[in-house]
Amino acid sequence: KNISDFSINITDCMQVVVPEEVFFTVAAAGILENLLILIAVVRNKNLHLPMYFFICSLAISDMLGSLYKTLENIFIILCNMGYLTRHGDFEKKLDDAMDSMFILSLLGSIFSLLAIAADRYITIFYALRYHHIMTLRRALVILAIIWAFCTGSSIAIALFSYEAATVIPFTILFPLMMFFILCLYVHMFLLARSHAKKIASLPSSTVHHRTNMKGAITLTIFLGVFLCCWAPFVLHILLARFCPHNPYCACYMSIFHVNGTLIMCNAIINPMIFAFRSPELRSTFKKMFYCSK
Amino acid sequence: MSALRLISNRTSQQALSNSDYTWDYEYYEYGPVSFEGLKAHKYSIVIGFWVGLAVFVIFMFFVLTLLTKTGAPHQDNAELSEKRFCMNSFVADFGRPLESERVFSHQMAEESQSLFHFCINEVDHMNKEKESQKGSRLESNTHFQEVPKSSGMFEEDLHCLTKFNIPNFVNTEQNSSLGEDDLLISEPPIILENKLVRQSSHRILD
Repeated sequence: KNISDFSINITDCMQVVVPEEVFFTVAAAGILENLLILIAVVRNKNLHLPMYFFICSLAISDMLGSLYKTLENIFIILCNMGYLTRHGDFEKKLDDAMDSMFILSLLGSIFSLLAIAADRYITIFYALRYHHIMTLRRALVILAIIWAFCTGSSIAIALFSYEAATVIPFTILFPLMMFFILCLYVHMFLLARSHAKKIASLPSSTVHHRTNMKGAITLTIFLGVFLCCWAPFVLHILLARFCPHNPYCACYMSIFHVNGTLIMCNAIINPMIFAFRSPELRSTFKKMFYCSK
Repeated sequence: MSALRLISNRTSQQALSNSDYTWDYEYYEYGPVSFEGLKAHKYSIVIGFWVGLAVFVIFMFFVLTLLTKTGAPHQDNAELSEKRFCMNSFVADFGRPLESERVFSHQMAEESQSLFHFCINEVDHMNKEKESQKGSRLESNTHFQEVPKSSGMFEEDLHCLTKFNIPNFVNTEQNSSLGEDDLLISEPPIILENKLVRQSSHRILD
């Protein structure tokens, strides 16, 4: 239904539009970056470790998110140019498929972050037996289970998105997982603190004076970036479900494009804070680029 | 999601509104919304949300900073700075826990001895569990099973060393000594901290 009798008030919240060039640049950068990480992990045998597989899983989810936005933009453009109709059955199915891809990307991101946090937790607390607990095969099995679950729930959510019952679990899952990841990291922090107390009894250690904020900054960046990039969109979903006619909610929903761009920015930032911190991965990149020159 | 998209029609076919709705759904009745008589600013949810998010992130940061603070104020400056260094480089390595590519060569000798002690304990532990565990779970499983116990501890210790190769943990590259700035960019901690990790983990497991 083309709502052509939509009267515009001067005080209305106009849709905040992100220029398409910015949109496509951000999306392309996200896709390329994550693709590079996947290629690097596949090519370098040293990186065939559970830790890097989880980082790859995160890279795949980010790529799916950016891909979704790109495809959606392309379809909107095609619609505008008249190649696709707005109300056709095929377009509706296509839209459902793309929505499920987007939800898959969100769920995949959350579970990948959870897997990375759990992997680090095991590395620190079960360091001696890490190789027995987290074998390569188990890591792949865990990833398969995670992605099967995410695919299933994303299709279910996309198909049944009319019900309020699907929106609520979706929005509850998000803070719940963040809280769980935070707990894992806080426990690791507490262990680090108790270690530091034991270090005082050591006879010799080379000492450099450091600020004691590096760890807190690192963790805040991990979780803060994810929150800031995804929470606006989750709130949008909630508001669209429960108060679409409220003027305040409508004003919030007018910045939908900015929220979408934020999600794509998350795809660009995530590799920097997870993958590029590994010296092995960085050296693999250098080799890839120097060999191609 | 996509039902709420409004895109600006560049060719501007409609005179009144320069926006079009796409992919409409029945349940997204995004009809005309009246903006009359608003008590608060119309973007109040947007502002409130972002302010709340910023406050939450800053609060989380302060809580984490408090958690990483160690030591009583009356301790020595040297001890305090030692603790800070070790803990911070350990904690700073959250990006890649227990991943080390640089090894201080002068510490390798002491380190390998303590590693062997841990290896011995771990080997005993492993032998007890050997009946219940499959050998394939060990990375160097074939070697481990083939090496009889009577052949001495040396080979077992070697296999232990490979087993302790938690991602890039022990790197045989002989790099130059670390600069301070390298550690700040979340480089791995020195072996000292990793030894402590294993010590405490060993205690936790026991």
